[in-house]
Amino acid sequence: MSDSSNQKLNRRALLLGAVLLVGGAAALTRFVRKPGIAGAADPALTAEHFALLEQVCEVIIPTTDTPGAIVAGVPAFIRQMIEEWSSEDSRAELLGVLDAVEKFAWSRFGAAFVELTPERRFEVIKTLDAQRLAIQDPAYRKFKHLVLVGYYQSEIGATQELRFELVPGAWRSCVPLSEIGRASAV
Amino acid sequence: MDFDAIVVGSGISGGWVAKELCERGLKTLVIERGRHVKHRTDYLDFSAPWDVAHRGMVPEAEVAEHYAVQSQCHAFNSATKQWWVRDSEHPYSTPADRPYHWIRGYHLGGRSITWGRQTYRMSDYDFGANLKDGHGIDWPIRYADLSPWYDRVERFAGISGATEGLEQLPDGHFLPPMALNCVENEFKKKIEQDFPTRRITVGRCAHLTEPTAEHIALGRGPCQLRSHCERGCGYGAYFSSLSATLPAAEKTGNLTVITDSIVERLDYDHAKRRISGVRVIDTNTRQARSYQARVVFVCASTIGTTQILLASQSEYFPNGLANRSETVGRYLMDHVTGIGASGTHPGFLDRYYYGRRPTGFYLPRYINLTEKADVDFLRGFGFQGYSGRSSWQRGEHETGVGAELKQRLRTPGQWGMQLIGFGEMLPRADNRVTLHATRKDRWGLPLVHIDVTHGDNDLRLANRANRDAVQMLVAAGFENVAPLGKVNIPGQSVHEMGTARMGRDPSTSVLNARNQAHDVQNLFITDGSCMTSTGTVNPSLTYMALSARAANYAADRLASGEI
Repeated sequence: MSDSSNQKLNRRALLLGAVLLVGGAAALTRFVRKPGIAGAADPALTAEHFALLEQVCEVIIPTTDTPGAIVAGVPAFIRQMIEEWSSEDSRAELLGVLDAVEKFAWSRFGAAFVELTPERRFEVIKTLDAQRLAIQDPAYRKFKHLVLVGYYQSEIGATQELRFELVPGAWRSCVPLSEIGRASAV
Repeated sequence: MDFDAIVVGSGISGGWVAKELCERGLKTLVIERGRHVKHRTDYLDFSAPWDVAHRGMVPEAEVAEHYAVQSQCHAFNSATKQWWVRDSEHPYSTPADRPYHWIRGYHLGGRSITWGRQTYRMSDYDFGANLKDGHGIDWPIRYADLSPWYDRVERFAGISGATEGLEQLPDGHFLPPMALNCVENEFKKKIEQDFPTRRITVGRCAHLTEPTAEHIALGRGPCQLRSHCERGCGYGAYFSSLSATLPAAEKTGNLTVITDSIVERLDYDHAKRRISGVRVIDTNTRQARSYQARVVFVCASTIGTTQILLASQSEYFPNGLANRSETVGRYLMDHVTGIGASGTHPGFLDRYYYGRRPTGFYLPRYINLTEKADVDFLRGFGFQGYSGRSSWQRGEHETGVGAELKQRLRTPGQWGMQLIGFGEMLPRADNRVTLHATRKDRWGLPLVHIDVTHGDNDLRLANRANRDAVQMLVAAGFENVAPLGKVNIPGQSVHEMGTARMGRDPSTSVLNARNQAHDVQNLFITDGSCMTSTGTVNPSLTYMALSARAANYAADRLASGEI
């Protein structure tokens, strides 16, 4: 990462810190460009993106009787994947999905996604999910794939939500599902 | 003499030769071009999914820059990355329009760490095929020659499987089989009913279901049903050079292993018709060294062995060592795969399984054996298959988010099944490995040039495998049935064979019936390059049997002074 982009990040972090001190989450959205957000060519995930990413992940995998995406570390995992795993093309695709969420929130409800009520957030993601999967959009599939990997291959997702044994120790070839309970994470 | 024997390569073949020679009391040097690897401590088999770098996904830019070919192997991920070469550091060439995928790893144990562990005997249908239809030359051996050696290697390696009494898939010396699951059993019942000469058996595999005293003495334990074998197995539950043959060789006190040493060439003494030295380059210091021994086994893998032979030119062998027949490098084959079909089963939703079985089922060859009508090609194919229930992965392409998605993915999805065909590839002289005229690797050795295409027979066979697989899944009540897709790029089966073939006639083959070079009495080759045809089954067990047989033959001849 170049020095100038480091400085850019630091400036953002400082600004965000100040914003959060003054006005909390609602004030944050004033710094989000509308209708889109930061340019996809930007190599790092901005703090605005991350705040949005957290809420999108939590809508896809919410907290129910088991922890949701945020507690399971999904947003941090996706940030790591964007920074360390993604090619430039994939990074643009993944950030493009976040942009699309934000655009859709503004066009449908006239506000940033993170400002919406839980019901409206759900509606935005549910609609987008249905639209993008109707055409099996590769960018959205990649994004949803990372959310699911991030959750179901986390310790929480694998062992609390689903079932995982590092060392099964036995093969039982045909048993009632009720005896096993949940799907195997691996 | 530095040693009684030198073995080039430490994979499945080299490991077996080293074990047999050491146990016969011969001081044996194993030369491995890759790095040293320690059994257990160098494996990532105790990492949970959340502890594996990027949850198994190798960064895309790294794949593009270093692993464009290796990443095509299904077992490539961030927990196994250490078992594949960087393509960027180990280049080879192909014609621009005829790709070949050379999938390999340079480290002690070679591909015995990452192999698929499917282990089947070849039959006389396979050994007699070339003679029968005239493609390729006749094998100089038949099943009876190899049968006792299959027994020997199966006992030591530990092969789990069920006996079936089939001529085309000879039974062996098996540890208890793993069981088919509910849907596989149902499939077996329906297929054997509708297609009376087809048989389904659980995949025979090199896994210890019930280790014997001999296995336990080597520190090997029973399979724990983890099924991430390609990371290496700290229990030593599947056969590899590191879990089995090299430790057995080590126990004799006769084994010396050197790693990081590339064999540059073999020196040939025509007066004695012998290999007089093995020249190596140390990959760290780039220093050249030479070793001498009474007998030399080259087990560097099919293409690696070919490279060494072709590079070992001499006055008597101007086109490569033991290449009087001009067949070294020709007749490269790889099983035809990428063929078959998949489907989903609507039933058995109240049934599941526990554990991760590291094998599937096998449907041995029937075409051109028990079913001969309406066939427009020679030879045949077998299918490897498996069934399982989908899990959270289906959420990626299925619509739905939120609590509903979470609740839905809590329960396993439908049962799916895949049938993957492995077809015999005919030997053709034009399918060839040569040395590149100008390009060299970082050690100054000529690059390998690989030029292989599938022939008409290979493609007709593939079409029929697709058709049959679809037909069987539909007949067994599967839905959403579709062929798997295109025939693989050659090399993707990682069953490359044939470039230093065995034969009866020194003018058309490189090796005799004992894997000994016709023209060089102390040179033996027992990796895939010796194969005169591919048969339809996974070849590793046959390499093991040929290696053990040739090593004991060499030991006998050394003892009698005939070599």
